[in-house]
Amino acid sequence: MKKRALVLLVLGLTTTSALGLAACGSSSGGKEGGTLTGTYASFPSYLDPALSYEVEGWTAMYDTYLPLLTYAHANGAAGSKVVPALAESMPKISNGGKTYTLTLRKGVKYSDGTPVKASDFASSIERLFKISSPGSFFYEDIVGAEQFAKTKKGGIPGIKTDDKTGRIEIDLASPRGTFTNELGMLFAALLPSGTPAKNLTADPPPATGPYVISKVEPGRAWSYVRNPQWAKNNSAIMPDFPSGHVDKIDIKVVNNDSTQVNEIERNKADWMQTPISSDLYNKVKDKYEGTQFRVENPINLYLFWMNTEKAPFNDVKVRQAVNYAVNTAALERIYAGSLAANHQILPEGMPGHEPPFNLYPHNMAKAKQLIEEANPSDRNITVWTDNESPNDEAGAYYQGVLNELGFSVKLKTINADNYYTIIGNESTPDLDTGWLSFYEDYPNPNDFFQPLLSGESIAPTSNTNLSRIDDPKLNAKIAKLGEEPLGPQQEAEYAELDKEFMEQAPMVPYGTNTVSTFVDSEIELDKVIFNPTFGQDLTSFEFK
Amino acid sequence: MASEPNPEATLAGGGPWLLAWRQLRRDRVALGFLALFVLIVAFVLAAPLWADDVAHTGPDKTHTLEKIDVNGEQREVVNREGKPIGPVWLGAGGKFFLGADGRLGRDEMVRLMYGGRVSLFIGISSALITVFLATILALLAGYYRGWTDTAISRTMDVVWAFPVMLLAIALGLVLAVGGLQIGPLHLSGGSIWIPILIIGGVSVPYIARPLRGQVLSLREKEFVEAAVAQGAGPLRIMIGELLPNLSSTIIVFFTLTIANNMLLEAALSFLGVGVQPPETSWGTMIAGGFDLLTSSPLLTIIPGTMILLTVLSVNVFGDGLRDALDPSSKLRLEAHAGISEPEGTAV
Repeated sequence: MKKRALVLLVLGLTTTSALGLAACGSSSGGKEGGTLTGTYASFPSYLDPALSYEVEGWTAMYDTYLPLLTYAHANGAAGSKVVPALAESMPKISNGGKTYTLTLRKGVKYSDGTPVKASDFASSIERLFKISSPGSFFYEDIVGAEQFAKTKKGGIPGIKTDDKTGRIEIDLASPRGTFTNELGMLFAALLPSGTPAKNLTADPPPATGPYVISKVEPGRAWSYVRNPQWAKNNSAIMPDFPSGHVDKIDIKVVNNDSTQVNEIERNKADWMQTPISSDLYNKVKDKYEGTQFRVENPINLYLFWMNTEKAPFNDVKVRQAVNYAVNTAALERIYAGSLAANHQILPEGMPGHEPPFNLYPHNMAKAKQLIEEANPSDRNITVWTDNESPNDEAGAYYQGVLNELGFSVKLKTINADNYYTIIGNESTPDLDTGWLSFYEDYPNPNDFFQPLLSGESIAPTSNTNLSRIDDPKLNAKIAKLGEEPLGPQQEAEYAELDKEFMEQAPMVPYGTNTVSTFVDSEIELDKVIFNPTFGQDLTSFEFK
Repeated sequence: MASEPNPEATLAGGGPWLLAWRQLRRDRVALGFLALFVLIVAFVLAAPLWADDVAHTGPDKTHTLEKIDVNGEQREVVNREGKPIGPVWLGAGGKFFLGADGRLGRDEMVRLMYGGRVSLFIGISSALITVFLATILALLAGYYRGWTDTAISRTMDVVWAFPVMLLAIALGLVLAVGGLQIGPLHLSGGSIWIPILIIGGVSVPYIARPLRGQVLSLREKEFVEAAVAQGAGPLRIMIGELLPNLSSTIIVFFTLTIANNMLLEAALSFLGVGVQPPETSWGTMIAGGFDLLTSSPLLTIIPGTMILLTVLSVNVFGDGLRDALDPSSKLRLEAHAGISEPEGTAV
């Protein structure tokens, strides 16, 4: 009897808990439905997953176009985890890291009712090359991709698909440890075969995620509704994927961030995607932090690069001196609280960042002593920065520091639209040193080391290794780690590599720029997810 | 009874320049604004004195993490939220009189004075370039007429067809990076001669066209025919006969162009294609302050007010000068003096 009563009690408790959880599962205490109104400072460059290469576009399409893999819908480090999306499970890696095998989930449909097929993956990757997507280079290691890029005909032989079984096999020309991350990028999102090879921003293709873009007014606004196929098919097939709370999302472009803040304060808009400008940042933070405002930490690095090929920065002592001379506390103040100081290459949130270290605590006396020892013959330096505040002020601060070290410094402030083109072109004269911000493509340390510090990345145009450091030993380490899938061992090795590079001091890393989530009083701030790669997750917005 | 100056005696006793000066002397408003302009010039010329002996800092020296003593109280130049200190007047012995300029913590007063030197220098230099080029082109086109006039006038039309601001922005963007190479002369992208040449150049048609019209009219006058009859060559006629008759117009245009060019410089610098950092002008100061418009509006208002006062003073003085030098003013003066207007001299 006692046993039976206990069983009933357990059953009763389980049922009650299950019902409670089910209720929470739909609303988590918030209100389901409603229309979320958001604002952007500018219209994303593209609302086409194959073309968008900026966080604005990625935020807009994170819950719309799904790749085979994606990044977990979670805050902080948990959001850096690659998880299956349209694939049933994580890829099986074989053939010495050169073959990735995945299986498509069965029964998934696009928002227009078309079934998703394994061959759509091949056509979507081919479309990247056909429309010269800025992200196509992530997939150039697929066997035959480079040839396809040239001819744009005949398919990519390294991608084998079977629409019946949903099997997708990808052969790489060489092992690529970051390929799992790259399969989770929006560039690899599946679109129906036959999707036109042109920019579809004004008429976005059908979606696989919980929301579909229903209306676009290019340059001004766009809207989402729930994907009709999500509730019918896809949600049950992808139970781990959030379905979203609001029924409709309207996004409009409001250029002025004061107006955006004002609209949120008056509950005319529910959320602003744009980071709040430094002028308003502290005012908004002081008033709304914890209730409507939250500081977020995307993975990025702000730094001053030094051209190691040219005097005076071809002397490691000079570079170390500059590292000692730059005071990250001053730069934190220049960035008005939106910068978290960091004096190493891997920023917080990036695997391999731990443990944090600082080889060059601010010490102007030591910096001057190192300059005296180095006694550089060339003391004329040009400092480059862009004209966006406070980066221009960071450049002016850096100029002052170099002046104090005894250099004669010219500051060149370039329009932000052209800045990277100009400093990435080796024919630009006087590329001595300058400012740079670098945002992750995906949370893998290789994404920082390869473009910023590998000798392979030195290029005549679009150069990303602005320090032009080309150390064969360190290059080999980057290459070796780049072939290995990321694990604890690799993370430790990347941490070590970080120190080895900072001993060479090709740059002065000075911090990570934080952004913010600012919502009106009707939104559950605590429920809003900020993915470090994709930004705010639209499925997480929920009215109180 | 105090004797009124006898206009007839005045006219009989002085040339046109003296006449103009006497007319200008009566224009108290114009003279008042001239005095204001002189004060502004004196203010900006005193920049090194203020910087070295009062503020003890330079225009580019940063003080981000420093504290200053304001009436016995230690205050941060830039607080932890990145807000710069506001005006402390003489509370810190003249340091940060108008506060700090932004998150770099540079002395706003020192930058205002040095920035004014750059703004005025650009305004005056570019106006000189504009007037010089416009005068040459107007003399050539108006005197020679024919294909010379056609070539010059159509070129002016082409330049005029571009909105002056867009043309200046385009040139500024291109030249700000690579600089300018004219034969052996190289100007780096950050040189203030780049905005001077751009502003001076794009304004030329606005002066050259009206001057050309005046030259076309003057070359038909009897004194030019007389000079030709005496065997004077084109150069002598242009310099010796036409130019003196254009001088009053040129002077008036010059003053008004200074004002316009200062405004253009401020606009270009605000847009980031005029004066390049670390050089400071009132335009760059407005651009810098604009980022802190909500929390520190004075950073925009102060340099903006300086531009307003300078442009206003030059414009009002220029208007007064035009009244004094313009022949129609002379006619009014003559009418006031009771001298009958000779037939056929109406302008």
